[in-house]
Amino acid sequence: MAEREHSIYFDPGKCIACVACAQACPTHAVRVREGMARLKPELCIDCGACIDACRYDAARARTSTPADLRRFKYTVAIPSMTFYAQFGREVMPEQILHALTHVGFDAFYDMSWMVEMVAGATDAWISECRGPWPRISVTCPAIVRLIQIRYPDLLDHLVPIETPRELAAKLLRRKLVAELRLQPEEVGIFFVTQCTAIMNSILAPVGLDQSYLDGAFGINELYGPVLKALSHGEPAERELGALAASESVSRAGLMWAMSGGEISGMRNANTMTVSGVREVMGTFDRIESGKYRNVDFIEAYVCPGGCVSGCLVIEERYIAQRTVQQIGRRLRGQNSVKEEKIRGLLRDHFFAMEDEIKARPVHAIPRDLRQAIAWKRERSALLDRLPRKDCGACGAPDCGTHAEDCLSGESSEDGCVFVRIANLEKTPAETRGNER
Amino acid sequence: MNGDAPPLPAPGEEVLYSESFPIRGNDFEHGGSVAARVKVILKQLGIPSDSIRHLSISNFEAEMNVIMYADEATLELQVLSGEVRVILADRGPGIVDLDLAMQEGYSTATPEMRQRGFGAGLGLPNIKRNSDVFSITSTVGVGTTLRYAVQFEA
Ligand SMILES: Nc1ncnc2c1ncn2[C@@H]1O[C@H](COP(=O)(O)OP(=O)(O)O)[C@@H](O)[C@H]1O
Ligand code: SF4
Ligand SMILES: [Mg+2]
Repeated sequence: MAEREHSIYFDPGKCIACVACAQACPTHAVRVREGMARLKPELCIDCGACIDACRYDAARARTSTPADLRRFKYTVAIPSMTFYAQFGREVMPEQILHALTHVGFDAFYDMSWMVEMVAGATDAWISECRGPWPRISVTCPAIVRLIQIRYPDLLDHLVPIETPRELAAKLLRRKLVAELRLQPEEVGIFFVTQCTAIMNSILAPVGLDQSYLDGAFGINELYGPVLKALSHGEPAERELGALAASESVSRAGLMWAMSGGEISGMRNANTMTVSGVREVMGTFDRIESGKYRNVDFIEAYVCPGGCVSGCLVIEERYIAQRTVQQIGRRLRGQNSVKEEKIRGLLRDHFFAMEDEIKARPVHAIPRDLRQAIAWKRERSALLDRLPRKDCGACGAPDCGTHAEDCLSGESSEDGCVFVRIANLEKTPAETRGNER
Repeated sequence: MNGDAPPLPAPGEEVLYSESFPIRGNDFEHGGSVAARVKVILKQLGIPSDSIRHLSISNFEAEMNVIMYADEATLELQVLSGEVRVILADRGPGIVDLDLAMQEGYSTATPEMRQRGFGAGLGLPNIKRNSDVFSITSTVGVGTTLRYAVQFEA
């Protein structure tokens, strides 16, 4: 995968080569080399842990810009549920939706209804499914990527139902093309995203040939303009009556901003929710070993507590959770989504993913058993010579990864400062001058 | 240990890699950690993921049996070309009736253990089902030895 397909990049002007990002990365996808953080694209899952970890604002999200809006005749914003939780408990989703028409979009679309449809479809699909158990949600794209690179055995566990954001964009485009007599490519549909994982799922989709979304703006970028526009009150003129579906915002939809939200909207109660990338990996390890086979569905998020702690949010996670609860009480519970209709759409493959989700194994290890054993022995021997302080000064997140980088030829043992000091101490003083 | 000599590879067989892991009875705190460490090793060796899954299921069950019923044990992992072998010899009460212990649903776990999700009586039968080679021997008052292996295309 080319690096530009990732939604994270490092700004050379800001990076001070401190290794905080490399050490935060759950998949060891960052190295600091030649004074600069660099991404190993085959390992990156776009979770944004590096963005959260960077204290110098050097790890950046590659999101849409106002210039991208100008490519279209008509633009619509679809906010993530997390966006509704950014402005405190006094500001209702409806006001936020209207404000979006003052910051450069022609219209807005709330996806609560689609969220409920997908929850219903997941229930219906699971009721007819024969395993393997447990089934795993595809809502968090970083989770899907994690499974592709680290847990290929769990690919069969993913629920092959497209996400609400993609399905909403697909339907919306059809609707707009028909109602406004526009060409499909004249309509720009943009997500308002809480994270780089979703941005990446638009740049380089999985389970889909091409995203139905044209891009995504980070919540962090739209927050200021929307906050200022909130006082406008009146909807902008160009807002389409048909799209003023702000009444559709529901508690069931809003709950998807948090972990537990997805399963709370399902009938099936034999479910679990896991969040935080390390805990998710622990859970996946256990599923691989055959645990949780009596659980039907697992909702998993790389962000602790779910999308409210995405890497592009403004509001603090716990406050956002409170906001979700409090706004949620004032919204209607759900839209009228009929089970029969859902089953019909399911049979028509409306919810189906277009492509198979394939493994993306990362081959650091030789495939031949004897060579793999030799590799493992060398790795252990190397690790024994390293200080095991996991200081990161070599540019790899920890000594074990540095050992692997040495084996792959990407780095050398004396990339470690402790090894260099030890070598100096071993070298007789008179020859030191000749050392390189 | 229970006096069993360490198993020797059959003539012509070569153990390419081996490692031993101690397990202590009642060590619920670390329950499953040996199975997890073995899994990391098997992944590092590039063993097919199907085989790893089968072995991990068995290792977890076998490890928990030691923690629940025995005093202490050593799990020996042996990797051969086309086969991963596990020998788990424990020092403990042993099993009086092996046929009974191998039956699905048979368990001497207490109701409390069962409440915590252990003791469905499926551990040993599951190990057998997930292995290509399986044997169990036991001496009452001395200990139990499990041997199982999963084979794969080399
Ligand atoms: N290592 C062991 N030492 C002594 N007894 C054992 C050992 N492993 C299993 N057993 C006996 O065999 C029974 C069945 O084991 P198993 O099939 O794993 O089911 P469970 O652990 O759920 O009881 C156990 O309840 C226990 O009485
Ligand atoms: S948990 Fe939510 S915010 Fe975090 S990466 Fe996944 S989809 Fe994005
Ligand atoms: Mg058992």
